[in-house]
Amino acid sequence: MNPMQIVQELSNKLPKQLVLTGDQLTRPFECDGLNIFRQKPLAVVLPENIEQIKQVIAICKNHKTPIVTRGAGTGLSGGAVPLENSIVLGLSKLTKIKSVNIEQQYAVVEPGVRNISISEAVAKFGLYYAPDPSSQIACTIGGNVAENSGGVHCLKYGLTVHNVISIKMLTIDGEELTLHRDDQGLGLLALMNGSEGLLGIITEVTVKLLPKPELAQVIMAGFNNVKDCADAVANIITAGIIPAGLEMMDSFAIEAAEDFAKAGYPRQAKALLLCELDGSQQAVKIELEKVQQILNKASSIQVSQNEQQRLIFWKGRKSAFPAVGRLSPDYYCMDGTIPKRYLAEVLEKINQLSNKYELRVANVFHAGDGNLHPLILYNASIEGEIEKAEEFGTDILKICVDVGGTITGEHGVGLEKLDAMCYQFPAEELDILHQIKAVFDAESLLNPGKAVPTLHRCAELGAMHVHKGELPHPELERF
Amino acid sequence: MIQLKQIRQQVLNAKKLTIIGGKTQVQTISATESDILDMSKYQGVIEYHPEELVITVKAGTKIKQLAEILAQKSQSFSFPLSANDNSTIGGAYAAGNSDLRDAVLGIKIIDGKANILNFGGQVMKNVAGYDVARLLVGSQGKLAVICEISFKLIPQSYAKDLKLAPCNKKQQNSKLRMRIEQGLKSVFDPKHKFI
Repeated sequence: MNPMQIVQELSNKLPKQLVLTGDQLTRPFECDGLNIFRQKPLAVVLPENIEQIKQVIAICKNHKTPIVTRGAGTGLSGGAVPLENSIVLGLSKLTKIKSVNIEQQYAVVEPGVRNISISEAVAKFGLYYAPDPSSQIACTIGGNVAENSGGVHCLKYGLTVHNVISIKMLTIDGEELTLHRDDQGLGLLALMNGSEGLLGIITEVTVKLLPKPELAQVIMAGFNNVKDCADAVANIITAGIIPAGLEMMDSFAIEAAEDFAKAGYPRQAKALLLCELDGSQQAVKIELEKVQQILNKASSIQVSQNEQQRLIFWKGRKSAFPAVGRLSPDYYCMDGTIPKRYLAEVLEKINQLSNKYELRVANVFHAGDGNLHPLILYNASIEGEIEKAEEFGTDILKICVDVGGTITGEHGVGLEKLDAMCYQFPAEELDILHQIKAVFDAESLLNPGKAVPTLHRCAELGAMHVHKGELPHPELERF
Repeated sequence: MIQLKQIRQQVLNAKKLTIIGGKTQVQTISATESDILDMSKYQGVIEYHPEELVITVKAGTKIKQLAEILAQKSQSFSFPLSANDNSTIGGAYAAGNSDLRDAVLGIKIIDGKANILNFGGQVMKNVAGYDVARLLVGSQGKLAVICEISFKLIPQSYAKDLKLAPCNKKQQNSKLRMRIEQGLKSVFDPKHKFI
């Protein structure tokens, strides 16, 4: 393969301004939202229509040049990091909302449409698109499908996979494939959700729209200890209530968020619970009363009285990452998921690790679905501290797997969690995953090296598999 | 009743294997060309955590029985249930529809090489690896033996709000799609054991 030849060919076939080359122009694409991995590609191509995407695929396939498809580059696992010899296929110019069907409540959009733009475009019809990753003002719907993105509201309204009706995609051979929720046969649409750009290139997405709830109110409760807060989470669910959002923060995160957002959080609390209820006026009133009764161990309870106050309560939680970012030169965000009944226990173990590694950690959780986001604070300019933070992070993910959870709830594996994948999956299962990719992409040209570790890599890590025989919770059925 | 290892042994021994559940879809099964794996003998709830809204069950468990267990905790499945008393949960998974697929969290399967494999899990958010647990919904017992399944549940009070569309499956038989489905069949069942 001659790199110059590919770049030349791309420039010849496509309008010049769509092909970016050279250090300066490709630098903005060298990493995604996780900036510890950086690599400049051969070139970045920013097509404006499907035909141009097909041309890029054909040229790359012909030269056996890898393609890294990219949305807004907001991902947090290094999934969109270029490879040295790859082309970046940026779909951020495909931003048309093609059609909206108000009656049947769906919208057909191009992959580069931002998540929030969909809700904004249909707000006048009283509709919205439910999945709301924190990056929703910037992230694209194509990227959301590739990562099966979640967000605060997915406890009640589901993940991306539950809110996509159909997609159009291109295979590495440039063939068009339409996948629908109700297709006869295997769940190929579900397979594409969360496939991290390894199986195909998404060119159109039809999303489900929901009617905006009549009312939403947030209960904010402080607790004197973490266990009471974790118990409250279980009790709310057991009582038959599914909140629209159910979020938890530990004392360090509470303080950081309060300093930053001044949302009126109880600084002295050891844990904070935010519980959003939505629906009809009547339904919210009933659930609000029930939840307040369940929260009898809370040290403080406040209920938002109007929309402005509701948003202020959320502001602290939603700015938790930047708030923690102010306290430390760098932080590393983890994304494990655990069965909720282990919340208090896992949090305690994370605190023990924090002491062991001498690195502070702030915890924010999507408590309702057991998705943890511990933020490990470190200073990259201190030698060895990045490695220490990564080791700490890996230990947290192992705890998640050991209690029957997973290494990633919504951020994806990307480049970041390849080693952790070796801990969660035995070789036979990884082998199946590799073979699935080969069905779609035999020459491994679509985002190669991401999402699924090579068996060789796992073998080199060696010791990681030994634990499978001696799990800390042998009584647990492991899935 | 049978054990997982017995199922595995049967997969290992058979040249061709037909997997059956509650026999609600087929009237007669010809056993001349293949062995029969009767999954209705693999029954029971493995774990049920009402506070997690998650249940893990053996594939041969009758749907009717599961619905009763869930009702005791005022919970239910979020997909339409077969009216036939003999229908098994594994059969419903194999027949597949999008509402059931939405509720699947994880599976334990035995593939054509008799490997016991786990995909997905018991948590609602899980993006580690491709979503094999949802991919195999609708696989008709032709890719792997579905042994155990974990489902996300809903409180009964939310069940009334479900808008379950009648299942109008779209026939998809483009050459490309068939090629992909055949490719995936060979991934899980390279010797085409499951028929």
